[in-house]
Amino acid sequence: MENQSQPIKLQGSIEISYEWSAGVAGSRFFQEIRDNKRIMGTKCPKCGRVLVPPRIFCEECFVDVEEWVEVSSKGELVTFGESYLGTDGSKLKEPWIVGIIRLDGADGGLIHYIGEARPEELKIGMRMEAVFNEKRNGNILDIKHFRPSK
Amino acid sequence: MARRVAIVSVGMDKFASRKVETVDEMVYRVAKNALDNAKLPREAIGAVVFGCAVDAFTATQAAEKVAIGGAGGRLRPTMRNCTSGSTAISTPILGYLHVASGLYDVVMCVCFEKMSECRPHAQHVFNTVYDEYFVRPIGLNVAIQCSLEARMYLRRYGNTELQMAKVSVKNHGNALDNPYAQLGKKLTVEDVMNSPCISWPVKLLDTSPTTDGARAVIFASEDVARDITDDPIWVKGIGRGGDSCWFTGRRNSDLARLDYAYYAAKQAYEMANIEDPSQEIDVAEVYDPFTYKEMQHVEALGLCPEGGAGRMIDEGISLREGKLPVNPSGGLLGEGNPIGAGMSRLCWAYLQIKGQAGGCQVPKDVNTAVCNGWGGMYQYNAVMVIGRD
Repeated sequence: MENQSQPIKLQGSIEISYEWSAGVAGSRFFQEIRDNKRIMGTKCPKCGRVLVPPRIFCEECFVDVEEWVEVSSKGELVTFGESYLGTDGSKLKEPWIVGIIRLDGADGGLIHYIGEARPEELKIGMRMEAVFNEKRNGNILDIKHFRPSK
Repeated sequence: MARRVAIVSVGMDKFASRKVETVDEMVYRVAKNALDNAKLPREAIGAVVFGCAVDAFTATQAAEKVAIGGAGGRLRPTMRNCTSGSTAISTPILGYLHVASGLYDVVMCVCFEKMSECRPHAQHVFNTVYDEYFVRPIGLNVAIQCSLEARMYLRRYGNTELQMAKVSVKNHGNALDNPYAQLGKKLTVEDVMNSPCISWPVKLLDTSPTTDGARAVIFASEDVARDITDDPIWVKGIGRGGDSCWFTGRRNSDLARLDYAYYAAKQAYEMANIEDPSQEIDVAEVYDPFTYKEMQHVEALGLCPEGGAGRMIDEGISLREGKLPVNPSGGLLGEGNPIGAGMSRLCWAYLQIKGQAGGCQVPKDVNTAVCNGWGGMYQYNAVMVIGRD
């Protein structure tokens, strides 16, 4: 076996495109961001938690959740990470930053880009605010990024 | 009542960054090795349980189907399990359940992953694990995913990058004595601290490599185990926990504390009648794709107090010659990290109890060992406790 010739490699690729439904809750959520720059959550009738991202059910109480409430586009930085590796694994000279922001008036939050700040300027717990894109298409990237509150 | 279940054999083969063997061939080598070690013929296998975490690595859906022949599973019931990275231990739990249920006396459990074949890199496949609505559009990758968690963990418990580096030194060093390891290395803390920053606090040498490899474990019922071996190693406890994928909005959105892992460990220890794992566990093989994950897991597994993982490595408790060795095989960091085939943690726990761990053998009596697996969007843990009577 050791003396066998070089292993043969077979090449190929698979290309598949998708069109995902944003779902019952997600459709309303992205529509509000696109049309009104409003971030919405759903409120559980039983435990009172305001779910962001919104859900049509509460996974704790296991009941339908139908009440929509507007939450703030400002909140608190829960954690963040800066990376010198791009999404595709390529090496970057300048880091990009992702954070989790818990929004005021919500029991949850969003994971998103952190912009207009260097990593060393960020601290867990600091106040952040959403910056919306001028042109919005009905997806999470209608929020450009979160930045430290001015 | 569930039947008692023993592990009667394991099958090992070298982990490597790129193997010539196909999945079928990798699986054959470990399944054959496990059967040979137990002196069992293929016909003894009652059922086969497969574990593979990510089909997209080889781009073959239901990837286990190519390996039925290699696992000795022709014309046998087969079943494949996947719980992301925790496949590594949830698969042997499924193997255990097949026997404990009374349905099968001998079950071949095989885990494999071939990560080297997607181009340009396995990272591109990892990017497809995120939900398509809120996370993937941001372009999250594993490096940042872990950075988000590690930053919270260090901050909450006051543990440090330096302590993470010591875990890296320990596990890469331990792997030097592991004949199946991909990445044994003699490192210093400075080497780790000075390695390129991937995503603070995670540096290159805090991470495990991509790996091709497979492992096999044979489970047997109490009725037949002693016919196969004079020294069966018993499954004492199992536990699993899964949390919601909505990690920014679920009730415990504190990524520093792995509620689901504490929950899984509690089940396994209750079943094993273990009250104080830090005293009753002799050796641990824990899931360490990143250095800080070993630290989180030794805490969740009760091998040290919550937040005490830094002290555990500082005081040398988790060294191979320490009071409670952790990953004396080198772990995923040193042996390699073929996601589902992280079942190697269980194999090494078994070899330690048997006294067959060679250069990785810890210098003390080993009767009880624990291992675990982790995966998902901060979601899954699976725990198994094994030992002698």
